[in-house]
Amino acid sequence: MTASTKSLRIIHAGALQRVMENCVERFSIQNPGLNIEMKGVGSREGAKRLLSGENYDIIALADQALFAELLVPDVVKDYFVFAADQIVIGYGLLSRESKEITKENWIDNLLKPQVSFARSDHHLDPCGYRTLMVWQLAEQFYNRPGLSSALEAACNSIYPKSLDLSSAVFTGNVDYAFLYSSEAQQLGLPYIALPSRINLSNPAYADFYDRASVTVESKIPGKNVIIHGNPIEFAIGLSKQSQYPELAQSFVDLLTGPEGSSILEECGFIPC
Amino acid sequence: MDEDKISESESTIAIERSIQAELLLLLGQRPSHGYELIQRLNEADFKSGEADAATVYRNLRRMDKDGLIKSHWEVGESGPGRRLYKLTPQGESSLKLWAQYIVQQRALLEKFLQAYFQLEESLSGNEDGVN
Repeated sequence: MTASTKSLRIIHAGALQRVMENCVERFSIQNPGLNIEMKGVGSREGAKRLLSGENYDIIALADQALFAELLVPDVVKDYFVFAADQIVIGYGLLSRESKEITKENWIDNLLKPQVSFARSDHHLDPCGYRTLMVWQLAEQFYNRPGLSSALEAACNSIYPKSLDLSSAVFTGNVDYAFLYSSEAQQLGLPYIALPSRINLSNPAYADFYDRASVTVESKIPGKNVIIHGNPIEFAIGLSKQSQYPELAQSFVDLLTGPEGSSILEECGFIPC
Repeated sequence: MDEDKISESESTIAIERSIQAELLLLLGQRPSHGYELIQRLNEADFKSGEADAATVYRNLRRMDKDGLIKSHWEVGESGPGRRLYKLTPQGESSLKLWAQYIVQQRALLEKFLQAYFQLEESLSGNEDGVN
């Protein structure tokens, strides 16, 4: 079989869209004629697509814990952490209260009735359950009982994946959104950086993050599973069903090597 | 002790690079991946202030590039694979140099404190005389 008839299929977290596009561009130069198909989804949804029988060669997800929970050992053998990030509050220059909001007063500004803010769906997307965890941790960190429930009740919009949030803010559909720092940076959105004790960025606070938990749909239809907070880490693995394991491994090597690190940094991620 | 080397490095060592010395020390104790290093660094007695993930990973990449440490991907037995960092012979030399530099700085700081306490004593003596 010649390279021109080969097709590599990649399913990835929506948040990795630009990283994957840049990696595919460089990989295509090294492998002329190779066809590469990419599918960006919420990572939880992506893992479930694999479980339902969809075939992909490479799986890159926004939460390394999803591999152990859903994919190892049946779909994936080994997986590697390649990037870290943090949750921030992105906004636009025309967002209501954008001239007032700071790291200190973000809660009171978001809870104003005229302000709208969004998150992604916690059943489909790690950014969604991470946002709910950030709210729980904020309740403890700022000692404001009932804060998490108040933010949940006030959150006006829920999108399928985090990448949709940055677009929604960019186009002015919502004033604020809880998303990854990398996504805000890619679109040039201003953002509020949250304290590291609550933004899920620092392994030093892993025990504190673990206090937050969210119930999501498990891989068994109709059953739920409780997941706990942990530092944000993106991971990549090869499908055991891949038709082109060597080619897929070369792509993973590119992403986890010096070229991939440069791309990740350009896109606002922390290469690990 | 190589005095020339120390004074040469003294001019180039910025205080913010002290995190590299701390990482070299931790890696001298045992090879680790970034996640664990961030945890160990924040638990260390010699660390003041918080070490954030971005700073640690950025310095690890720089030190890897400079040959002070080397890394390879290690497959996780029951968890994810991670990049494992080890000290190189060049890193060991750099750590030794850092220790010499810190000894020198400690001596200077002790002299500063000695002079300060003498000043404090003389000022206190003057005040007593006035009263």
